Amino acid sequence: MIEADGVTKRFKLYEHPADRLKERLLRRPRHQLYTALDGVGFSVASGESLGVIGRNGAGKSSLLKVLLGVSLPDAGRIRVAGRVTGLLELGTGFDADMTGEENIVTNGLLLGMTRKELAAKHDAIAAFSELGHFLREPLRTYSSGMIMRLAFAVAIHADPDTFVVDEALSVGDAPFQQKCMARIRAFQRDGGSLVFVSHDLNAVKMLCDRVLVLEEGRPLYLGAPEEAVNVYNALIAGQETAGLGEPAGLDPYGSGEVVITSAAMRGESANEEVFTSGETVTVAVQITAREAVTGVTLGMVIRDRFGQDIFGTNGYYLGHLLAAEAGETRHCRFRLPLDIAPGSYTLSLALHQGMAHTEQCYHWWDGVLRFDVSGIRGVPFSGVCNLHPVLESAD
Amino acid sequence: MPMTERVATGGISWAVLAHFVRQDLIDRYAGSVLGGLWSLINPLANILIFTLIFSKVMGAKIEMLGADEFATYSYSIYLVSALLGWNAFLATTTRLTAFFRENAGLIGKVPVSIPWLPLYVLISDTVIYLISMAFFAVFLVAIGFPITWHWLLLPLIFLVQQLLAYGLGFGAGTLAVFIPDVRDLVGIALQFWFWLTPVVYVVTILPEWVQGYYAWNPLYQIVTAYRDVIMHHQLPDGSVLVALGTVALGIAALALWGFRRLERDVRDLI
Repeated sequence: MIEADGVTKRFKLYEHPADRLKERLLRRPRHQLYTALDGVGFSVASGESLGVIGRNGAGKSSLLKVLLGVSLPDAGRIRVAGRVTGLLELGTGFDADMTGEENIVTNGLLLGMTRKELAAKHDAIAAFSELGHFLREPLRTYSSGMIMRLAFAVAIHADPDTFVVDEALSVGDAPFQQKCMARIRAFQRDGGSLVFVSHDLNAVKMLCDRVLVLEEGRPLYLGAPEEAVNVYNALIAGQETAGLGEPAGLDPYGSGEVVITSAAMRGESANEEVFTSGETVTVAVQITAREAVTGVTLGMVIRDRFGQDIFGTNGYYLGHLLAAEAGETRHCRFRLPLDIAPGSYTLSLALHQGMAHTEQCYHWWDGVLRFDVSGIRGVPFSGVCNLHPVLESAD
Repeated sequence: MPMTERVATGGISWAVLAHFVRQDLIDRYAGSVLGGLWSLINPLANILIFTLIFSKVMGAKIEMLGADEFATYSYSIYLVSALLGWNAFLATTTRLTAFFRENAGLIGKVPVSIPWLPLYVLISDTVIYLISMAFFAVFLVAIGFPITWHWLLLPLIFLVQQLLAYGLGFGAGTLAVFIPDVRDLVGIALQFWFWLTPVVYVVTILPEWVQGYYAWNPLYQIVTAYRDVIMHHQLPDGSVLVALGTVALGIAALALWGFRRLERDVRDLI
């Protein structure tokens, strides 16, 4: 069980470490204040799980450090019952020159285990970590995945009452991650309290009863996972293009005889930025010709958050080329079933001659629209797109 | 279950301290051929070098101090009775000054009481001192040099000395988090301190007006106390020891007070 109340953490940023002392001695401020946590409060009862999500720099790591007790809050209180263990980045205070075995002992003792407890759990820890004879090697020979395995194994076997996990878990390979998840679930069933910080929204939804959304250190939302994920997605959607995996500096370009002047995307029900997989959407594009043009291709491409092309099409393929007089504005519409997996996407548009924009490009506009696909209409699927499968069996 | 305030203070268990001492003295040398013996070989080499270089220079002066029936060994006895204590002081102060940097990985990841954790350094330096002193005692017995009940005072002198080392080292270590230069500065200061303390030489070789100032050097008082006990079989000056103990306590208290005020920043910075 763990409770936080009005937890505030500020960092004073100095140009030189020595400025900190000068400030104390001369009593003249030399710092800039950075608020990492601002009045964060929650309580996690036994058997309950709290997810913490937020963008990079939202204060998640600071919160974990304060919860684990390695960093001290400037205001507010944290109260815990029993033992709190967890994973903070890589290795919970491991010594690289010592062997895995020795680090198990050091770490276990520091987490409050007794020698007896350690002796009793040693085999379970060794087995869980799957490190085998590597446990007799110094830690500096380990990969980051191996260190994470050891750290997780010790932390979860220390019988914590509250377990705090951050992104560290994502270092392991898939089978080990699944094993960790299973162990965390067992821990929850046994009445442990969990604080789980992740970017993996699916994992958060699966594991957590409630989710806290942090934004610039402030608690933006605390409540049901579904709603929290929506709040978080709205945050991401409002974010600048940076970080979405698109090549930087690709402003709209082209020769400009004809240009895209506006674009909008709408689903079957409402005009919004969130659609359901399987929904038919309309992409309405308005173009304006500055000179008379003929045989113009309007193209579109949908990219995922890694900047990978998911689907592209254009008027050339579809046998629908455009022509316009000078000064004329035209309205076009793509209509397509959005049979792609849930996730965040961008839509880019282009006007060019012929099949591709390499010949004569009038206007190329990356990331005109940004939209999310959430949930699946009809039969669920995995992967990036829905191929509408049918399964039959013959007797 | 009772709820408690989440603070990384409180104590530290003996099991943790014992484990760190063991690591420090033994495990650290895992894989090397001579292992933990290296903890002892270094001071021995030290003794050998000083004996070879200074015994001829200082020998005559020490005979006058009364250990004449052991003339061939007198310089060694004079040297070792102070050097072993100094080595412990040097090691503790140096290591505590670098303590935060060397244990940053631990302090930043596991909630641990920072003022208590350095105790393992003190304990392991004490163990090295005890072992060296045991060798020294065997040597004295072998040459027939008397070991008297005055030796019972050695732990007290050593305690005062190590308390001083803790205060200075922990204080310097805290400052070094903010000003890394402190570590180098302490290294140099300790070298000066060594040569300003009559460990390898006899204070009477100095002009008298300089000797007057030596009384203000705590380590001069400490090594004098060691020699009173070991060489001269007499009680050290009690009032001096009490004064030293008070000063050492004061410095340690100041270092802890300063650390408490800066702890938040220390934890954020490392």
